[in-house]
Amino acid sequence: MTAVDRAGRVYDRGYRPYDGELGGRAAARLALFRASVRRALGMRRSWRQKLFPWVLLAIATVPAVVNVGVAYLTRDQFEDAIEIITYREYVGVSTALLVFVGLTAPDVICPDRRHRMLPLLFSRPLTGADYVVAKVGAIAAIVFAFGFLPQVLLFVGQMLVSDAAIDYLTDNAEVLWQVPVAVALLALYYASLAVAIASFATRRIVAAAALLILLLVTSITAGILAGPEERHLPGAIDDGGSAWAAVNLLAAPLHVRDLVFEGEIVDGRLVGVAGGPAIALAVYLTVVGASLGTLLWRYRWVEA
Amino acid sequence: MPSRWPPVGERLRDVAALLETEHLTKTYAGGSVRALDGLDLALEPGVTGLVGANGAGKSTFFRILLGLTHPDSGTARIGGVDVAGDPVGVRSRLGYMPEHDCLPTDQTAADVVATLGEIAGLPSRAARQRASDVLDLVGLDEARFRPIEGFSTGMRQRTKLAQALVADPALVLLDEPTAGLDPQGRHEMLDLVRRLGTFGISVIMATHLLDDVQTTCDHVVMIDAGRLVASGHTESLLHTTGVVRVDVGLHGAALVTALADRHPTLLTDGTVELAVDGDDDLDAIVAAVADAGLPLHGLTSQRSSLDDVFLADHQQRTAG
Repeated sequence: MTAVDRAGRVYDRGYRPYDGELGGRAAARLALFRASVRRALGMRRSWRQKLFPWVLLAIATVPAVVNVGVAYLTRDQFEDAIEIITYREYVGVSTALLVFVGLTAPDVICPDRRHRMLPLLFSRPLTGADYVVAKVGAIAAIVFAFGFLPQVLLFVGQMLVSDAAIDYLTDNAEVLWQVPVAVALLALYYASLAVAIASFATRRIVAAAALLILLLVTSITAGILAGPEERHLPGAIDDGGSAWAAVNLLAAPLHVRDLVFEGEIVDGRLVGVAGGPAIALAVYLTVVGASLGTLLWRYRWVEA
Repeated sequence: MPSRWPPVGERLRDVAALLETEHLTKTYAGGSVRALDGLDLALEPGVTGLVGANGAGKSTFFRILLGLTHPDSGTARIGGVDVAGDPVGVRSRLGYMPEHDCLPTDQTAADVVATLGEIAGLPSRAARQRASDVLDLVGLDEARFRPIEGFSTGMRQRTKLAQALVADPALVLLDEPTAGLDPQGRHEMLDLVRRLGTFGISVIMATHLLDDVQTTCDHVVMIDAGRLVASGHTESLLHTTGVVRVDVGLHGAALVTALADRHPTLLTDGTVELAVDGDDDLDAIVAAVADAGLPLHGLTSQRSSLDDVFLADHQQRTAG
């Protein structure tokens, strides 16, 4: 008597071979990407897991809703619509995105090691590099979506409450490429750094705390090394800023965002520093490169 | 031998050599630990038991076959394909069931197996269908929509086997599939492994339990300290020992007296064991039982077990 018989079944369908096509590495990468996105968004998981990402998306959308709402309510009182937040400022301004990355990146990386799933994954047509691309890509894609959708809401809302929608569109046409590029760069930065840190932790909360502490410590360190912010305020004596401000890893993607929108750095203590844009770009590329390099090294045990 | 990996759906039944290794060597710790030591093997399709003590090199052997680690020297070919030359391609046709726990406990068995099927290259819909089929096959038809955290050890082992089968592999590597199972679960798992062979799926089952191999596998490979001890059909390794056991019910002592000149041994279960040399001796024993007026319930020729083969080699090498 077989195990199946004992379970009380009246028939046994036996084994059916698969005669369709099997995908290769690209299919494996895409499947892992999709599984990671599903997990990050809480799909096929409990309602608690589903609630978290959508609450954060709602929080990230609040500035857009407020901005459009105020513009609508005051549309007849001022010649120019009130602008609480600009498209440039809206990129990376919400800490909700950072919290989301901090908690979600470990959630798609840590369980694979904690549950010792890596041998199962790497016994399939998948390499270490494929794994890194799928995981970082999944987090980056969600961060991009959560950073970009509120911007779309802001743009469409502003356009609709403006006196002339077409004029608004043509006047702000440049943000149609600036926003997605800046958000994509921010998403890549957050995702690669967060996933790299998470690759060293087994607990989600430890990885999230490590990311936030790293960003906070570099921010404080940069503040101490670069000196007080006040000297860059309008009317203050500007001594040219300080290159030490580049140490601030929290501000690094925002510097790059400024370069995308304005072609120069317009916020923070790196303003006015000779070669500031090059330094900001170098820091950005170094962090992203080091993070991805670290991940490739971490998963190098799959030799081919 | 085929020059390329068989297409999906085609089995390795007709392949002359399922697996070939030549002088496969792998060392760790700067060469001080030899996990595999010049292993030469040629395996036919079917269910093969890979036997060895803990640390014998079984897991390293599997990692090399999966292309997850490179040998220091030597080659491994599966279905004629060099593993080192196309590790990803080889992996796409293999299934692997690790020994240790490796399942995410917060997901259902259906989700885990379907996701792993997709990562193995199945289209999404096919992955879900096949996940359902293989979970059904391993006896988890109704439990597949429950989170794995509520599964018993046996159910987890079945889920691990299901994920190894979901992409319809040509060859499945099972690492200690009966580990942690109670006798009933072990029996059921071995039954499943035996059935895989009838489906045309070749199996290499690593274990340190020789009984499991003896009852389940067509072929046996024994390794010890990374070296080949014995390899061949299970039956061919189990030779007769020249000892017979005679069952005369409650009259064992009387038979010992009747056959005193042959130096018989009365065993605790009442049977009598004695050495023979050819069919004439068997005829003489049967005649002696009849002459003594004893009932002959059974006369069986004793065969060696795989334990005997393994221990004999081990003792020989220890003495050497």
